Amino acid sequence: MKTLILALALATSGLAAPVFAQHDHGAASVTGAASAPLGRPAGRPPARDWTKLPLLLGKGERGERARATIAVRGLTAASVTVHAADGPAERRKVDYPVGAAGASIESVAPQVGNYHWIVAREESADTVRVASTAWYFGNPGDSPKDLLAVPKHELEIVPAPLPREHRSYREAEKWRFLVRLDGKPLAGQQVVMETEFGSRSTAVTDAAGHATLVFPRDFKPVAQEGDEGSEARRRARFVLSTEKEAGGKHYLTAFNHAYSQDPERNRSLGWGAAFGILGMVAATPLLRRRQPNEGASGHA
Amino acid sequence: MLKTLFPTLSRFRFAVQVLMLFVTVYGSIVVGHYAADKITGALPALSCAYDQMNGGYCVLVPTQHQVHHRIGQAMVQAQQVTFQMVLPLLLTFLTFFAFFFVIGKAFCGWVCPLGTLQEWIGKIGRRFGIGLRRFEKGDLGEVKRVRPVKWLLLLGLVFLLPLLTGLGVTPHALGNPFCDICPSRVATTLLTGNTEELALRIGDDWKFGLGAVANTLIGFMLVGGLALRLPFCRICPLLAFNSVFQRLSPLRLAKPTRDNCGSCRICTEACPMDIPEISTHSGRKAYNEDCTLCGRCAEYCPQDGVIKLKWGPFALFSSSREYYKAKVKGELPDGTVKPLKFVKNAAKPAAGAADA
Ligand code: SF4
Ligand code: SF4
Ligand code: SF4
Repeated sequence: MKTLILALALATSGLAAPVFAQHDHGAASVTGAASAPLGRPAGRPPARDWTKLPLLLGKGERGERARATIAVRGLTAASVTVHAADGPAERRKVDYPVGAAGASIESVAPQVGNYHWIVAREESADTVRVASTAWYFGNPGDSPKDLLAVPKHELEIVPAPLPREHRSYREAEKWRFLVRLDGKPLAGQQVVMETEFGSRSTAVTDAAGHATLVFPRDFKPVAQEGDEGSEARRRARFVLSTEKEAGGKHYLTAFNHAYSQDPERNRSLGWGAAFGILGMVAATPLLRRRQPNEGASGHA
Repeated sequence: MLKTLFPTLSRFRFAVQVLMLFVTVYGSIVVGHYAADKITGALPALSCAYDQMNGGYCVLVPTQHQVHHRIGQAMVQAQQVTFQMVLPLLLTFLTFFAFFFVIGKAFCGWVCPLGTLQEWIGKIGRRFGIGLRRFEKGDLGEVKRVRPVKWLLLLGLVFLLPLLTGLGVTPHALGNPFCDICPSRVATTLLTGNTEELALRIGDDWKFGLGAVANTLIGFMLVGGLALRLPFCRICPLLAFNSVFQRLSPLRLAKPTRDNCGSCRICTEACPMDIPEISTHSGRKAYNEDCTLCGRCAEYCPQDGVIKLKWGPFALFSSSREYYKAKVKGELPDGTVKPLKFVKNAAKPAAGAADA
């Protein structure tokens, strides 16, 4: 009995415990992630030149679920196109002009729509360059299945699947991407991954057009103090790209997004197991003392 | 045909639990990868949102989340509470209720993965002849003394702390404190082969402490569950949440009068939550806040038609002497499996043979 009370007391102690100032949102926190979903590394300064590929860099504001700013890098485009997964039909595809700070985009409707697909495009006589990314507005909304299935430009890199809401790409994880040309899967196509920390890897698509890439374990072990919030330190950008000649044109398409530090780095399985065992030990008195057997069979 | 497949209510419930364990832990295989594809985000059972393969989320996740972000943080900005702020929470409750209405608290006894796991651990305990411990006078003390804990956890960890965190009073790490101590988070992720949630967060004292509590609870549940039935359910805030709504679902436990009740207390003995009221009371009071609608009391009540599982006007199951007689042949009310006993009884005439 005492041990049980103890366990209960432990469980409730959070209620009365003193509080000290601390600010940490926690990358793996399910509920917490909503205020800083994937693709919104809050407060991060414009990326240094870690890639020559075109990028769409998103920036949201804390608590802002309907608006974000998308900066276009390495590509000249007058507008970005935002495709939404749900919402009113006429708002499913909207062009936003690119200003000095980038394009100020909105979710499909004020309280609806989570997954949005963003594209910027630069076309000259012989080349088409496309930058693309996904943006999560943190509103309730449909799954992006249909949004991703619809072709949005000629050469595409399509996440298959996107990390679901409140999740993100992470170091040391394998993710699949589909490469399409004019809506058809491209087999044997090379996809290159570059990360903000300087890693570079390639994969080739299989017969179904899928390339599987492993996110490198390349976060710097010690975080630089001061310059950015802990949130930003745990996330970095990456870009995938693929190129193809077709119909006398050169197509280059990039998909960029963020990936985060392997959460196991900040976690200890040893401590976890230790407390599990503590709980087990605490419960053993329950097993020892046997109840006097009053023979339930007597009721029959 | 149905009779041969499911000769007893328990057998039927077992089949449902196996199916629901699959849906609540591995359901994404069927329903799909994205959160929006899930069955719902407001399930009245601890189907954990941290489990990357589940088929739906428990209602406590959006509740903590909305109290934290949509109410707490919004109050700071607007300096008042508006209808707009509580709307998402009301919608969550409404979604919850759409599910809850259908089978009410049977979400605990029939669907919840953590309930099912605890029950199976208990079965192992009975198989190995570990003595059953109960919350009753003379053993662990009256069950009434434990009951308030789940209400405290619900109010404190699901509503109060997330609200205070949203208001900026408590640190950010306390935004979803119940999830942090929830054993289902650890248990269901482990079932998908993921040890991430078992590992404790280093460098954040709050998260570390709360995670340590969760792991201690899980350890306690694994071993304590061998002797004490449903140890975590007794303090589960979702049980408290569900019992707020329990009279609003047509599915309920009915013991209209005590006329034929022989006060034999077998139902209480059969009850995994050690609820004394089911034998000592009738009417409203017999359907206690702790009830998980598992139906064991109805199965083990030896009097015809005294305890019933009802959905609206329909009695889905009704206690009967005949059913009881057949049932105790295989399993005693306290869950002891009969073959073990048979060895014991058969040994008696042979005088001095060792106990099983
Ligand atoms: S941790 Fe527990 S309360 Fe939180 S989502 Fe998972 S099951 Fe629900
Ligand atoms: S009381 Fe038990 S069965 Fe019900 S939700 Fe809680 S853990 Fe699950
Ligand atoms: S009162 Fe009956 S239905 Fe409710 S938990 Fe106890 S045995 Fe199960």
